[in-house]
Amino acid sequence: MSLLDDRTRQEVQKALTAMTEPVKLVLFTQGEFGSLECEYCRETRQLAEEVAALSDKLTLEVRYFSKDIEAAQALGVDKIPAIAVLRDGKAPHDFGVRLFGIPSGYEFGTFVQSILLVSHAKHDLSPHTLEQLAQLKQPVHIQVFVTPTCPYCPRAVLLAFRLAVASPLVRADMVEAIEFPHLSSRYQVHGVPRTVINEVIHIEGAVPEGLLMEELMQVNDEAQMQRLRELHRST
Amino acid sequence: MADSLELAFALNNAAPEQIWDVIVVGGGPAGATAALYLARADLKTLVIDRGLTAGALGLTGRIANYPGVPEEISGAELLYRMRQQAERFGATFLQDKVQSVDLESDPKLVFANTGTYSARVAVIATGSMGRSQRVKGEDELLGRGVSYCATCDGAFFRGQEVAVAGNTDEAIEEALFLTRFASRVHFLCPTPQLKAPEHLVHELTAQPNVKLYLGATLREILGTDQVTGVRVNLRSEGEIVLPVSGVFVYLQGGRPITDFLGGQLPLSETGCLQVDAEFRTALPGVYAVGDVLCNHIKQAVVAAAEGASAAMSIEKVLRRRKQIAVDWSK
Repeated sequence: MSLLDDRTRQEVQKALTAMTEPVKLVLFTQGEFGSLECEYCRETRQLAEEVAALSDKLTLEVRYFSKDIEAAQALGVDKIPAIAVLRDGKAPHDFGVRLFGIPSGYEFGTFVQSILLVSHAKHDLSPHTLEQLAQLKQPVHIQVFVTPTCPYCPRAVLLAFRLAVASPLVRADMVEAIEFPHLSSRYQVHGVPRTVINEVIHIEGAVPEGLLMEELMQVNDEAQMQRLRELHRST
Repeated sequence: MADSLELAFALNNAAPEQIWDVIVVGGGPAGATAALYLARADLKTLVIDRGLTAGALGLTGRIANYPGVPEEISGAELLYRMRQQAERFGATFLQDKVQSVDLESDPKLVFANTGTYSARVAVIATGSMGRSQRVKGEDELLGRGVSYCATCDGAFFRGQEVAVAGNTDEAIEEALFLTRFASRVHFLCPTPQLKAPEHLVHELTAQPNVKLYLGATLREILGTDQVTGVRVNLRSEGEIVLPVSGVFVYLQGGRPITDFLGGQLPLSETGCLQVDAEFRTALPGVYAVGDVLCNHIKQAVVAAAEGASAAMSIEKVLRRRKQIAVDWSK
């Protein structure tokens, strides 16, 4: 049985006509038959297959997490289900856009938008944000924790994805909080969206671009990051 | 998760396909009347509103002095009639919460939970029932058990006791969602009665895992790293402490609701929007009407009149008329 109904399929197909460059989805899965190791791998794969079939500029590559270890490591995939959204075609590029957990509910829109974003690479960030990103001295890993029923979450995830597209030093993950309870526990996620930057900077809610950047730029201040690490350890 | 999978894969945040002539934020008497006049002028009008009882009129028990309505009716009923009248002329009402806006762009962009909407003109009619102050502990424990979105965060409280503070249909609907996860939902209604449609009140009180406290004022949210309880003042029994791990807050107050504007419009010292005689704000194509202005008598009929005036002013601008037209049938 199809996951997408006819109307949604038509809408996605229409949305994907805005793709300029080809995109490759690399899906990591395993144990798709109801095993405990990945509750939603089967559905995530089916969803990715259905979406990939809606544009000739979109391809899907399925990888098995326990077998394709090198590929998983190369793309920074450490949990499943995972989708890496990569620019394909003549100038392939990995902007660092990842989705961990099934992109269902409100996050389905995020999934489609992430494909478009990687395809056309128009991040629409403010000149000030771009200036700040240019000053980054080290890699930034943004994890945005979400639930499928959270209407505020897509804005937080897409902002993180736009930053990843704009800066080679930024990688952005959508993480479905309920599917990865160990991470929710580790990062004390009791409400979403919750954004975690380089493990220790925590932001509640879908904050505006300027506010997120203010928090994010702390990564350049090693003394401040050390303080946050110590604070994080003590709680 | 299983439920959400069944909810369908909607493109909620996809780019808007339709550009409305006018988006009205807030569906109280000012917003609904503006929509009525705009739709009758054949302008494509969308009203985004949080619910029938989210504002001052919807919460009013009895109205006996609205011209042309001789019988005593509830505020919600009067508002419902206004909306029906506007819908008959073609206005669209969407129950949703606006999170933010971009009023300097062309078209204006309105970011709501269900998507992004765009329009040539925006009307701010959000009223003045915003909260004026936080409960002690609320800010410190945000994201650590304090939440404003049960649908977002309910799953984190599976098998745990939670509290919901509020008295509107929004609060009840969120509490009903929580009953699917929480072992017990303590519903703290600050007023002696719930201000919501009867069927919702029945549905809430019929839930075996809901305990309703009427006249319950949330005084403090307790906890250091995590919410551990709430201190509540009950009119009948005095102060009690409920051991909960989550608190969902849907309380209202008496401040103009302008937080979603993100400082794009100047506010008066008392936090109100400012307009000229035609209800234009400082930004072109942005109007404001009703209680969010604060400079008028808080009566439904006055707010409705402002909605009508603003609508005629908007029609003049969008149709490039030199003067306001009072009868569009000619």
